[in-house]
Amino acid sequence: MTDLTKESAAPASPPPAKPEDKPSGGALAFLFSHQSGIVIAVALLVALAIGAILIRYQGVSPFYAYETLVKEALFVDGGLERTLVKTAPLILTGLAVVLPLRVGLFNIGGQGQLNLGAIAGAWLGYLFGGWGPLGAVIGMAAGIVAGAAVAAIAGALKAWRGVHEVISTIMLNSISVGITWWLVQGPLQAESAKVSHIPQTEEIPEAARVGSIVGIPVSFLIAVALAALCWWVLGRTTLGFKFDTVGKNKHAAVYAGVPLNKIIVLSMVFGGGLAGLAGALEAQGTLHRFEPAITGSLGFDGITIALLARINPVATIPAAFLVGVLRTGAGGLQFATGIAPEIVDLLLALTLLMVSIPVLGKWIFRSRADKVQASATSWGN
Amino acid sequence: MKAKYFVVPAVAALALAGCGGSTGNTSSSGGGSQAAGAPTDDSKCADKDVFCVGLVTDTGKVDDKSFNQSAHEGAKKAAENVKGYYKYIETQDAKDYAANMKKFTDKKYDVVVTVGFLMTDATAAAAAGAPDTKFIGVDQGYDATKVTAKNVTGLIFPEDQAGYGAGYLAGLLTKTNKLGQVLGLEIPPVQKFAKGFEAGAKAANPKVTVTTVYHPAGDNAFADPVWGAQQAKTQLTQGADIIFGAGGNTGNGALQEVAKDSGAGKDKFCIGVDTDQWDTVPAAQKCLVTSAMKLISLGVTDLVTKAKDADFGGLQTMGKAGLAPYHDFDSVVPADVKTKVADIVKQMEAGTLQTGVTL
Amino acid sequence: MSWITKNKTTVGAFVGVMIAAYLFYFISGVKATSMFAYAWAYAIPLVLAAMVGVIGERSGVVNIGIEGQMLVSAFGAFFAAAYSGSLLVGILVGMGCGLILGGFLAWTSVKWRMDQIIAGVVLNIVATGITSFYYKPGQQLPGLMPTWDVPILSKIPLLGPVFFSGVGVFATAAILATLAIHFALFYTRWGLRTRSVGEYPSAADTAGINVERLRLINVTLAGILAGMAGAYLSMDGSSSFERGMTAGRGFLALAIMIMGAWRPLRAGAAALLFGFISAIGNQLQADKIITVAPQLVGTLPYIMTLVVLAVAAGKVRAPGAVGQPFVKGDK
Repeated sequence: MTDLTKESAAPASPPPAKPEDKPSGGALAFLFSHQSGIVIAVALLVALAIGAILIRYQGVSPFYAYETLVKEALFVDGGLERTLVKTAPLILTGLAVVLPLRVGLFNIGGQGQLNLGAIAGAWLGYLFGGWGPLGAVIGMAAGIVAGAAVAAIAGALKAWRGVHEVISTIMLNSISVGITWWLVQGPLQAESAKVSHIPQTEEIPEAARVGSIVGIPVSFLIAVALAALCWWVLGRTTLGFKFDTVGKNKHAAVYAGVPLNKIIVLSMVFGGGLAGLAGALEAQGTLHRFEPAITGSLGFDGITIALLARINPVATIPAAFLVGVLRTGAGGLQFATGIAPEIVDLLLALTLLMVSIPVLGKWIFRSRADKVQASATSWGN
Repeated sequence: MKAKYFVVPAVAALALAGCGGSTGNTSSSGGGSQAAGAPTDDSKCADKDVFCVGLVTDTGKVDDKSFNQSAHEGAKKAAENVKGYYKYIETQDAKDYAANMKKFTDKKYDVVVTVGFLMTDATAAAAAGAPDTKFIGVDQGYDATKVTAKNVTGLIFPEDQAGYGAGYLAGLLTKTNKLGQVLGLEIPPVQKFAKGFEAGAKAANPKVTVTTVYHPAGDNAFADPVWGAQQAKTQLTQGADIIFGAGGNTGNGALQEVAKDSGAGKDKFCIGVDTDQWDTVPAAQKCLVTSAMKLISLGVTDLVTKAKDADFGGLQTMGKAGLAPYHDFDSVVPADVKTKVADIVKQMEAGTLQTGVTL
Repeated sequence: MSWITKNKTTVGAFVGVMIAAYLFYFISGVKATSMFAYAWAYAIPLVLAAMVGVIGERSGVVNIGIEGQMLVSAFGAFFAAAYSGSLLVGILVGMGCGLILGGFLAWTSVKWRMDQIIAGVVLNIVATGITSFYYKPGQQLPGLMPTWDVPILSKIPLLGPVFFSGVGVFATAAILATLAIHFALFYTRWGLRTRSVGEYPSAADTAGINVERLRLINVTLAGILAGMAGAYLSMDGSSSFERGMTAGRGFLALAIMIMGAWRPLRAGAAALLFGFISAIGNQLQADKIITVAPQLVGTLPYIMTLVVLAVAAGKVRAPGAVGQPFVKGDK
């Protein structure tokens, strides 16, 4: 991982602050009490500054552009809710990267796990639609199972066959996308769509949809709760301790009696389940059915978010919110200024670049560059 | 020293951005476009005298050399013709269809064009919620039992007829009795073209065999010209002498590959799709005998212009489909073939000939 | 002769494949030729990209950013050729883009010791953002890439039409690069040093090799090959640049590298195998032999990769220090 903290010898990710901290306070406390928060802020500013140059170059005032982005995402009627709807799956796919990364596994398979989770959630949500909210829960569970199952393959291949998870998850992404397309154009295609051949599944009945409570999307609440849960599990439980132990030193973990293979598979299964849930919630909460376009690049965005959050589970919330704001505002930005929405991808890429480059942190805090952390991911091990 | 470190990434990013010399400036500073005398912004769209046209793409771009681009050009032209204002949004996320359309209806745009069958439901819903705005849904077939709004029409095309005509021509032209189709994703418009092509070819020449390949991967099926080119090459090697490339940039890859063949334009031909690809894919001119067109641009222009003063005729509007001119191959295609094909096209337009294509 | 007895499996496999290929050729000459030609065309960018991976990992640096290198190079090559009107300029710019990004990856992961995989992922994300934002429609290449037939060799049945007729710059480069890197890696001083840096950097350091410098140079220069792979896609494999046109080929190359056990020649063979499987998938669809949904057939190469990796794992071993930054003085 990148230069997470000033102290190079510090653990992979700073242990969540003092015990009395609440998870929600933990995020802020984390940001303010740790220098990495400042690094991220500076990185963001630098990225926005470069972005401003690019926007200027398109013949638009950068201030107006940024103002529009933020206004569209937060202050326009219904804008905040749309932003939160977009933030929810991003938190989950971010967590799907964070959890395995704590063990040293890089799960780039979020996209595939999300795809299968989405179609499973949409299908079972429809089948059990008559059961109302219970049907919605079944849909979510189906999404979790589907996502976890895909990830379990990668985990098992890693644990027992030594196949690197980066390769296997990339392959599984392509396989999952193929399977979802086949399902949505074949066995699971909606009856009404069979005439027009539109790739979409049956619509989930009103009662079994995932909606909003007083303007706050349920999916967002679930995502936030899960982020807190992940934070608690990682920071407060034996399991979390085992995760970090394996992540920091595999050999030491084995000596200490940690069941290595089990932890590897578990971390992937947790990650995949979260990504699958993200997919299911997308299907149940937005279009109320599965359409291939629904998944966008949510799974890959998870990588960006996990890295922005410096693999801290609670920090995925602000990171995902940032991405959510940019993605929500993109349409309005084009409407107001004509700048293509890809500018947002460019901004994110720049932010990620700035956040990831360790030099920024070194420069700000003048820490020594010599003894840098061991790698976070586990290529070749 | 500090400053140096700080600047390096920024410079690197900028240098990368410039990599490839793509410094061509965007001519228009925004999505908006105006003809002389037309309004310069959309602040007065609510006025009766100010005519505003908006367009929302499905998750594609207005420069996709395919249906989004055609619709965009059609809408833009209509706005220019009637001295109106035109602006578009390129949707990135299927969940934003409604929000993006709302941007236009909030500003009281007179007409909103939505592109692609993926937006069918969203467009119908938006039309019901904004009775003052007229909606044109390209490639959208509505369920007449559910959609009752009068301010919406779905522009659909007889793609199978265009495919049939092109297939008929190919069936008459082929020497090897082998034809190839390189296709994008297996979705309705593409399937109608492909099945029409096959039916037309068989009608013209019963001995003909048609090899069909669809792109297997869902997410980049229309943007994989390398795959398209490789398929075309394989089909040529296996004896096909006319290739029908239908699938956005994937199909364009196939056309360009045929144009590279040493027999291109002599005994190897290619047939384009959607628009007259003589103009959109100049690199394929060496082999491009015609294109199976669905005239999206024309259809959109007509409908937008009509919407200015009148109501739409019905829930669905049938656009035109047909064959593009032969261009340089006018002298290559035998006169009797041209007559036969023209006859077939006429019969289809008159409704006396059915393509027999069902999905 | 001793070489043959030493490499029984390799030689056996080679002979077996050739016999099978020619059997197929005599049963259906046209199909065999076209399918093998497809396999090779499919393999060209993969071979070039896999070499980038091989050089990187043999030096101890994971390059997961090949996809991004290829994408930016395809972009740079196409637009440089279109704007300058010269194919050569296009190829050079493509190679240059690959080189610059290779340098970026080398600098961040070796000098700054950023996690190598994360550096690569960041590179990919940046590449996607830049190329899709700055894409301009309506450009075209000034001409066709030149091709030639190799005298005599192109007359060999099957192999001739597949490998030696209509040969282009990139196909030649792919073959030469594979052979040259194989030779260099296993029979030159540079190769020995590179492998030692990748296997056991501290020992290499003790032996007086500048580990960081060698890694920097290798990863940066390998970028040229990624640049060629990208340029192939937009200038030879097709004649246009499209957003996201690499379509995962850079990642596939990494899988091929592993299947090839980090050895250039075997990686080349693995790429051909991939191409052939893809050809089978398309042929099944085209000939309507069995009606399997194309979406599922399309997943064949990926499923095969997983199966092969699962079976072969344990038999192949990654270079010892791959993925780990070298810190002088660490044990």
